[in-house]
Amino acid sequence: MASQGSFKYVAGRLAKIPQAVLALTLIGLICLVAIASALQLPLSPYAYDQTSTLYLAGPSAQHWMGTDELGRDLCARVIYGAQLSIAIGLTTAGVAFVIGTVYGAIAGYCGGKIDTLMMRGVDLAYSLPDLLVMILIGVLIGRGTFGILLALGLVSWMGTARLTRAQFLQLKNEEFVEAARAQGQDHLSIIWKHLFPNALGPIIVALTFTVPSAILSESTLSFIGLGLSPPACSWGTLASDGWRSLRAHPHLIFFPSLFIFATVLSFNFLGDGLRDALDPRTRLSKLK
Amino acid sequence: MLPLPYIYLLQIAIKIRTPLISRRFFSIFLVLVCTASMLTGCGQGRARYTPDTLRVNIGNEPPGLDWHTATDSTSFDVVSNIMVGLTQYTPDVKCKPSCAKSWDISPDGRTYTFHLRDDVKWSDGKPVTAYDFEYAWTRLLSPETAASYAFFLYDVENAKEWNAGKLKDAARLGIKAVDAQTFRVTLKKPAAYFIYLTAFCASFPMRRDVVQKYGNRWTEAGNMVTNGPFTLQKWQHEYKIELAANPDFFEGAPGVKLIRMFMVPEQSTAFALYENDELDFIDNRSFATPDVERYRESPEYKNFPLLRESYLAFNVKKKPFDNVLVRRAFAMAIDKNVFPKILRRGERPADSFIPPALAGSAKDSGMPFDPDLAKRVLAQAGYKTGAEVPAIDLLYPNREDVRLIVEATQDQLKRNLGVRVNLVNQEWKVYLATVRKDAPPLFRNSWGADFPDPETFMNLFTSYNGNNDTKWSSPAYDALIETAEAERDPVKRADMYRRADRIMCREACAIVPAFLATQNIMVKPWVKGIAMNPLDLQFFKTVTVK
Amino acid sequence: MLTLILKRILMALPVLFLVATLSFCLIRVVPGGPFDADKNLPDEIVANLKAKYNLDKPLPEQYVLYMQRLGRGDLGVSYKYVSRTVNDILLDAFPVSLVLGGLALALAVLVGVPLGAVAALGRGRWQDTLAMFLSTFGISVPGFVIGALFIYVFGIQLRILPVGLWESPWHMILPAITLAFSPAAYLARLTRASALEIVQKDWVRTAQAKGLSGSATVLKHIMRNSLVPVITVLGPLTAILITGSFVVEYIYAIPGMGRFFITAVMNRDYDLILGTTLIFAVLLIMANTFVDIAYQILDPRMRISD
Repeated sequence: MASQGSFKYVAGRLAKIPQAVLALTLIGLICLVAIASALQLPLSPYAYDQTSTLYLAGPSAQHWMGTDELGRDLCARVIYGAQLSIAIGLTTAGVAFVIGTVYGAIAGYCGGKIDTLMMRGVDLAYSLPDLLVMILIGVLIGRGTFGILLALGLVSWMGTARLTRAQFLQLKNEEFVEAARAQGQDHLSIIWKHLFPNALGPIIVALTFTVPSAILSESTLSFIGLGLSPPACSWGTLASDGWRSLRAHPHLIFFPSLFIFATVLSFNFLGDGLRDALDPRTRLSKLK
Repeated sequence: MLPLPYIYLLQIAIKIRTPLISRRFFSIFLVLVCTASMLTGCGQGRARYTPDTLRVNIGNEPPGLDWHTATDSTSFDVVSNIMVGLTQYTPDVKCKPSCAKSWDISPDGRTYTFHLRDDVKWSDGKPVTAYDFEYAWTRLLSPETAASYAFFLYDVENAKEWNAGKLKDAARLGIKAVDAQTFRVTLKKPAAYFIYLTAFCASFPMRRDVVQKYGNRWTEAGNMVTNGPFTLQKWQHEYKIELAANPDFFEGAPGVKLIRMFMVPEQSTAFALYENDELDFIDNRSFATPDVERYRESPEYKNFPLLRESYLAFNVKKKPFDNVLVRRAFAMAIDKNVFPKILRRGERPADSFIPPALAGSAKDSGMPFDPDLAKRVLAQAGYKTGAEVPAIDLLYPNREDVRLIVEATQDQLKRNLGVRVNLVNQEWKVYLATVRKDAPPLFRNSWGADFPDPETFMNLFTSYNGNNDTKWSSPAYDALIETAEAERDPVKRADMYRRADRIMCREACAIVPAFLATQNIMVKPWVKGIAMNPLDLQFFKTVTVK
Repeated sequence: MLTLILKRILMALPVLFLVATLSFCLIRVVPGGPFDADKNLPDEIVANLKAKYNLDKPLPEQYVLYMQRLGRGDLGVSYKYVSRTVNDILLDAFPVSLVLGGLALALAVLVGVPLGAVAALGRGRWQDTLAMFLSTFGISVPGFVIGALFIYVFGIQLRILPVGLWESPWHMILPAITLAFSPAAYLARLTRASALEIVQKDWVRTAQAKGLSGSATVLKHIMRNSLVPVITVLGPLTAILITGSFVVEYIYAIPGMGRFFITAVMNRDYDLILGTTLIFAVLLIMANTFVDIAYQILDPRMRISD
C-alpha cells in the first residue's frame, strides 16, 4: 500500500489503459508542437504572422487550413497558438490546483468555525467581479501573456477549493480515517496519506476540466475584447476572431475548434486514466 | 426539432432504468418538445411584414433620451425622430428651416435672430415658442445639468463661463427669447458654422413644465412631450422602443404609423433577423463583415461614406517621432489601399483629413504612398535601415475592427520600412485614460463629424483643443483656423481649411489619414424612402412600408 | 436546520459588506473613469459631471456616502443610463434572467446528471463513449460558437425557432439550450466520475458479489452518494446561470442582467458594477446555503459547522 502513490507505480498502471496512453501521446504531441514553436522551429513553410495577398482563402494544398483576413496562413497560426493555449491551460490548472486543494483541504479537515469562515472567504472571492480583477491584474502586471495566465489562475481556484472541502468533509468520517486516527497518526499524515489520495479522483477530473475551461475562458475574454495582444494568438483567440465567419469562411472557426476539441478530449481520457491508476481498488484487467 | 444528439441521449436514458428518472417523465418531455417544434414550425406561413410598421435595429439601449445629457449616436437616432429644432438637415447635409421659418445674421456675424413658425405644436397640443428654446439652451449650459454636449454652445456669449460656474447670472448669457416667435442668440465671436449647430439634437427646444414635473423620469414613455414626426409610445429598457406617428406634425403625418426599434447588440444575430424578415432595415450595427461580403451584390444592399475618419497619430514629443522626417517616412510607408481590403466594408482610403464631402478637401493634402522615398527619408533622419529604429509600441483598444487596422499597419511598416512595431492592447477605458494622460508614440484614432463643416475636423488639431493627443502645435495652423472660423465667404474659407489640412498632414505630418468609414445598409423591397446622410443620423419621417 | 439558515443570514451580512467594500476599492484602483470617452470633454464639463455624482469628493467620503445609501437599500444611479437608478435597471432585468437561468439550470441538471449516470453504469461500453464524446463537445466549443451554430441551423436553415429577441416561450428555447450546454456537459462528467468512485466502494462490491448490482436499492445508493460533488458545484452554478451569461444574452438579444456584468465594468459605471456584484453575492450565498442543507439531507453524517 505504501508504494501506491509512487510515480512508477502509477505510471505502470496508467500504461495498461489504452485510452490514457492514446490521450497522453496526443497531449505529448501537442506539447511538442508548442515547445517547437516556442523555440521557433519551422514547423510550417509559413511564419505565423507572415501575410500574403491571398485574403481569406479556403483550405488548399498550399495553405492546409486556408488563410485569414490578413492573408496569414492559418496552419502556421494554429501551430503557434498551441504554445499559448497549452500554457494557459496548464498554468491555470496548476494555480487552481495548488491554491484550491490546500485551501479546501484545510477547510474540510478542520471543519467547524474555521471551515465556515474559510468558506465565506470563498464566497467573497467568488463574488468579486472576475472582469475587474482581470483588468486590474492586466494594469498591474501588464497585458502580456503572463498577466492573462495569472489572472485566469487567480479567478478559477474557488471551484477546486469547494470540491476538495466537500470531499474531505465526506471522507473524514469514513472508517479508514477513523482507524488511522485511532492509530495515532498525526493530522498531516492523515491528510496526505489517507484523505488526499482518496479525494484526488474528483479533483483531478475537475482539473482536467480546468485546462479546457481556461482555454475557453481566454477565448471568451477575446470575445469581449480583453484577450491576448496580437499578433500573439491562441486557439481561443482564433476561435473568437473567426466565429462571425461561421457562414462565410467556416475554416476560420473549424480548425481552431477542432484542436480545442482534441485537446479537451485527450485531457478527459487522461483524467479518467489517472483516476483509475491512482485508485488501487480498480482492477485494470477488467477494463477494456 | 431538438438537436439530434439530444434525442438520442434521451432514448438511452429511457431504455436504461435508473431510479432517478422515470420513463414517463421523459416521454412527456419528448412529447412536449415535439409539439413545441411543430407549433413554431407553423409560424412559417406568417406575413413577411406589417404595412405601415417599420422594424429597425438600434443595437443598444439608448443611454438616455434627454437630449441634453445624451452623448451617443443610439440616443440621437431616437431623438432625431421625435424632435425637431430651429433648422434641420437635408439629405445632402445642408441646413433648411424647421421650427424657425427664417433667420437674420447681423453684419458683424455675431447675432442670429430666428423667426419661429406659429404652427409647430408639442405632442400635448401646446405651441412651440421661443421660450422653450431659451429654457432648453440655458438648461444645456447649466452646471447642474452637467451636460456633456454643453461645449456645443460654447460659442454663445458667456456660455463657457456660466457652464464652468464662474458666472452666476444666467441673464448675461447670449440667449434671449424676445417674444414667443423671436429667438435671439449672441455669439462671442463670429462662427460661420453656427447655423449647423441649430439642427443638432443638443440644441432642440425643451418643456420646462414637463421636466420639472417628472424630474429624472421625464423621458419615460407617457411622460415625454415632444414636437417631432413621431412620439415615444413604449420603452422597454434594454429591449425595444416603439415610436408612434404624430398625426399633428407640422409638416404632415409621417409615412409609417409605427416604428419598432429593437436593441440587438450582436451583429450576426441582427442580420439573421433581417434575413428572416423580422427587421425591415439594417445598417452597420446589424452587419458583421462576412455578411457584407455575402450580400455585396444584392439589390437590397447600399454603401456610402460617412464623415468619420480613421487616422494614425504620432505623439510628436516622443522619440523617434519628434523628428518630422521620421514621421514623413512612416506616412509614406503606409499603403492606404490595404485597409479596405482587410476591413471589407467598402471603406474609402483617405488622402486628406477633411473628407471629400466637405469644403476644403484636396487629394494632395496628405502624403502619397512611396516606400522607396520613405526609406530614403528615413536614412536622412539618421536611420540607415528600418531595423535601426527602436521597436515602436502601437497602442490600441482591443476591438475587432481596430485590431485589424493595427495589425495591417504593423505588417505594412515591417514590409515597406523594415520597422518593428509591437502591438499593445488595452481595455477601452484604460486605453482612453492612457492616451489622454500620456499618449504613446504611435496610436490609431478616429473622429466623427458633429456637424457637416470642415471646422469639426480641423479644430481638433489646434493647440488648445482637448482632443489633440498628438501634442503637435503650430501657431500658423491655429491662426489659420481662427480666421477661417470667422470668414463668411465660402470659397475663401474652403481655401483656408485646405491650407491648414496641408500644413498638418503633409508638412508637419502630425497624423496619417487612413480611411473613411462607411455606412452599409440593407433595405427590404417593401420599404421606400430611406434617406441616409453622411452624418449618420437616421430620419424615418419619409419612409413608407407598403 | 432553522438555526443553520439563521446563522447563514447573519454571516452573510459581513460578507456582503466586505464584497461591497472590496469592489468599491477595486473599481477605483482600475484606471479610466465613467466620463472618459472617445471625444474628450472640456475640463469644465467633467467637473460638472463629477460634482453631480459626488465624484469630486474625497474617496473616504464617497465611501461613507455609498454605504449610507446602501443601508437604505438604494443602490445608486447609473452614469451611463442617465435617468435610471440601479434599482430600476436591476428590477427590470432580474426576472428575465431568473427565467432564463432557471430554465438552463433545469435543463443542465436533467440532461447532465442522467447522462453521467448512464455513462458510469455502462462504463467502457458504447453508451459511455457516446456520452463522453457529447460532453467533450459541450465543454470544448465556446458558447458563442454554439449560439451561432444554433441560430444558423434552427433559425435560418430550418426556420423552426426564432433567431433572437424575447417575445414568447419559443424565444426561450435556443438561449436556454445554449446556456445549459456547457454546465450540462460539466455535470455529466462530474456525475460519472463520482459515481465510478462510489461503485468501487466495498459495500457496492459486496452487493455486486451477491448479484445485486442491478437492483434499484443499490442504484439508489450509488446515485445518492455520488451526488455530493455534483451538488457542491450546483451552488455557484445556480448563481452564475441566474445572473445570466453575457454571451448568451448578447447573442440572442435578451434584456437580462448578464450584460450589465460586462458593460458596467467596461463603462466604469461604478454604482451599477457594485449593484450587480452585490446581487450576485446574495444569490451565491443563498445557493450555497441550500447546498449545505442538501448535504445534510443526503448524508446526515456530514455535520457542517453546526
